[in-house]
Amino acid sequence: MWQYVSGVISLGLIYVIATVGLAVFTGFTGLFSLGHAAFFAIGAYTAAILTYFYGFNFYVALALGGCAGGLVGFLIGYPTLKAKLRTDYFAIATLGFGEAIRVLLENLPITQGARGLPGIRGETNLPVLLVCTTLVIWMAWNLIHSRHGRACIAIREDFVAAEMMGVNIFIGRLRSLVFSAFCAGLAGGLFAHYFCFIQPSMFTSYMSTQMTAAVVAGGMGSISGPVIATLIFIGIPEALRVANIWRLVAYGLMLVLIMVFRPQGLMGYQELSLGLVKSWYRRLWKGGRA
Amino acid sequence: MIGDTEASPVLAMREVTKRFGGITACKDITFDVAQGQVMGLIGPNGAGKTTAFNLITGVYGLTEGAILLEGKAITGKRPDLIVRLGIARTFQNIRLFRNLSVLDNVVIALDCHETYLLTSSFMRLPGVRRRERAIHEQAMFFLASVGLEDKAATRADAMPYGLQRKLEIARALALKPRLLLLDEPAAGMNPEESLDLARLIRTIHEQFKLTTLLIEHHMDVVMALCERIFVMNFGEKLAEGSADEIQHDPDVLKAYLGEGFKRAQHI
Amino acid sequence: MFVQTLLTGLAIGGIYALMAVGYSLVFSILNFSNFAYGSIIMLGAYISYFAMMKLGLPLGAALALSILGAAALCYLNERLAYSPLRKRHASSLFFMISAMGTAIFLENLVYAIVGAHFYAFPEVFTKRNLSFHGVSIGVLDVFAITFSFAAIYALHYFLQKSRTGIAIRAASYDIQVCSLNGVNDKHLIGLVFCLAGGLAGISGTFLGMKYIVYPTMGWITNKAYIAAVIGGLGSLPGAVVGGILLGVTETFVSAYVSSVVRDVFSFSLLVILLMVMPTGLFGRFLEEKV
Repeated sequence: MWQYVSGVISLGLIYVIATVGLAVFTGFTGLFSLGHAAFFAIGAYTAAILTYFYGFNFYVALALGGCAGGLVGFLIGYPTLKAKLRTDYFAIATLGFGEAIRVLLENLPITQGARGLPGIRGETNLPVLLVCTTLVIWMAWNLIHSRHGRACIAIREDFVAAEMMGVNIFIGRLRSLVFSAFCAGLAGGLFAHYFCFIQPSMFTSYMSTQMTAAVVAGGMGSISGPVIATLIFIGIPEALRVANIWRLVAYGLMLVLIMVFRPQGLMGYQELSLGLVKSWYRRLWKGGRA
Repeated sequence: MIGDTEASPVLAMREVTKRFGGITACKDITFDVAQGQVMGLIGPNGAGKTTAFNLITGVYGLTEGAILLEGKAITGKRPDLIVRLGIARTFQNIRLFRNLSVLDNVVIALDCHETYLLTSSFMRLPGVRRRERAIHEQAMFFLASVGLEDKAATRADAMPYGLQRKLEIARALALKPRLLLLDEPAAGMNPEESLDLARLIRTIHEQFKLTTLLIEHHMDVVMALCERIFVMNFGEKLAEGSADEIQHDPDVLKAYLGEGFKRAQHI
Repeated sequence: MFVQTLLTGLAIGGIYALMAVGYSLVFSILNFSNFAYGSIIMLGAYISYFAMMKLGLPLGAALALSILGAAALCYLNERLAYSPLRKRHASSLFFMISAMGTAIFLENLVYAIVGAHFYAFPEVFTKRNLSFHGVSIGVLDVFAITFSFAAIYALHYFLQKSRTGIAIRAASYDIQVCSLNGVNDKHLIGLVFCLAGGLAGISGTFLGMKYIVYPTMGWITNKAYIAAVIGGLGSLPGAVVGGILLGVTETFVSAYVSSVVRDVFSFSLLVILLMVMPTGLFGRFLEEKV
């Protein structure tokens, strides 16, 4: 039983790491990405190839996987963000790059194409995940509460005003993209060493969608919100043994409902804290505005 | 240089011209704003005043001419760079960071001159923590200078219009500019509110000795605050002079102020 | 070989043109990329398919049903998922999330309810090819090209000559001024979505007939974005030109290089265009809504 629960928690934490990165990108910087699964895949393959073919140390491989994700993020971000593409063109461009990466992964000899890479060492376990997750959340929190994070928030709120506050829009967005790509890459490396087998078809838009849904549902402008949402998204369907397909139907519907009725999501611009929980409690039980 | 008592102007506009396709929004605009001066930029709607601001802040590129800040050309520089060189502006339609608190709006402005590294941010080194404390204290100081210190935790868009305008000004002050551009700060205010605002701008000017360029339609505010006034019409210069001269200039009266214009009450 | 490829390219180009026109129609009025358009096209295909298979209707009636059905669905999509956001003056990020959510919801709903089987349309046009001068073209392709261009011409005529059409064209310049002049902008927007939906029904049906019907076929609208960008977003003649150009060049790449490279080619073209020439051939540059 514990085996099963720890498995669910492990999977949840892997996605939390990637989602925290995406939360910084979409939730705090206001950019929409349709292809973050690509960075996840890059991290997974880089780490796996390093440990499998070259016998690298697991932790070094993980770090390099994250860096690979970040590097690809930089390469993709530099031209597209420099061109000051509007939000929807940028999203379509990320879709394009995601596709290109998928085609690449299916055709490079070292990745063994669509067949995938089996037999990866299973070095990811709960303690490792807990450490990585804490580290990533800590870094994201520090970023948000620093001048660099505030610049991203300003860009999201009103990029015209942000520029008038001395914020370099291009650099701010690029930083955010590279950080989120790094997080996705790190999560990918952990993923590869957890399932011990990866193939390109595992990194689909399903994964990108789930991450985006968690950020939106958890609340843009919050880190704890997407963390909670990710754990719920992974945990509840497992508990209910709901089939994958209906999960996606629910995600899609949820995205629309949240946009229409509660765009700030669960946490919306706030973090989970004792004060917040107390105010919810007061509202629920005393039935009035706290 | 010995014998040279004139300091260089903070802002120098030299034959500034901006064309958008077939339309000439600004033509050969030339004026100086001296150190510590409050200068008014007035004229009917569509005269090119906000375009001039956008040209100064780098949002639009110049078609011809040059703009100098304290003697150094800023033509063609990126807007965020120009801000860091020392120009702050407020917007005609308030552009606050609405979802953020009043305090955070000012903090972001203060970030402009901070230099601690990204890697230090990620690890939240002690140096960063010290800077952050200092920034937050300074932000409270700027809020106090416009009288908003007790609203620090309020959401920016939850405040009444008049206070939002004050926050815009506080934000601009926090950028520690050499030149302050105010774009219709009294827009949408009734006479009482505008006089209140004018008093605030006067106080701030005295406190910070800030060189200011002001676009405004409320003539009482303009005449009360501005030592010199530059009048634009159809993108070109119509007149330039002291407040007194402008009020009696027949061209200005005809084109804009109206023949029956009387001097505003003292503030 | 050359002429053959050209003709094949024209056939698919006609369909791309239809999709691009539908997409540009909405874009030009609302300055918004409707990411859910692909799923409407997909639903159009399914409607015709089931009309023919389950209800035994002839092609004409099935097509009509598909047009009406897709128009209704597109209209509903707008009413439920976009119009509440418009009332709130939400930023473009929220619209995109809502559109994405709709797309995911619809695709996976079909996946879950109908199943993942690929459906092939019954043979309406016997696999006879018309040959002349050593070149052959399928009867289906001839029909598709003719019908597509007829539909586009009908739309053009409507936009040029009818009062409502002129209102739509005016709205594409500035919808606020339009409403100040007495045009009911809510009705106008609803009508535009219905029109786009109708076009989606047609292109969906032909896509389904030419290839195959499956839940994620809507992703082919990525080609519509590319076509619309080539021609210039917001320009309807541009969308037509873009569609044809894309169809033809893509087919040539597929024939002379390889079909794997074809998709990479299209996406690379898209990304390069977005960065270098976002206004395309005929488009206007529209500022993003902040």
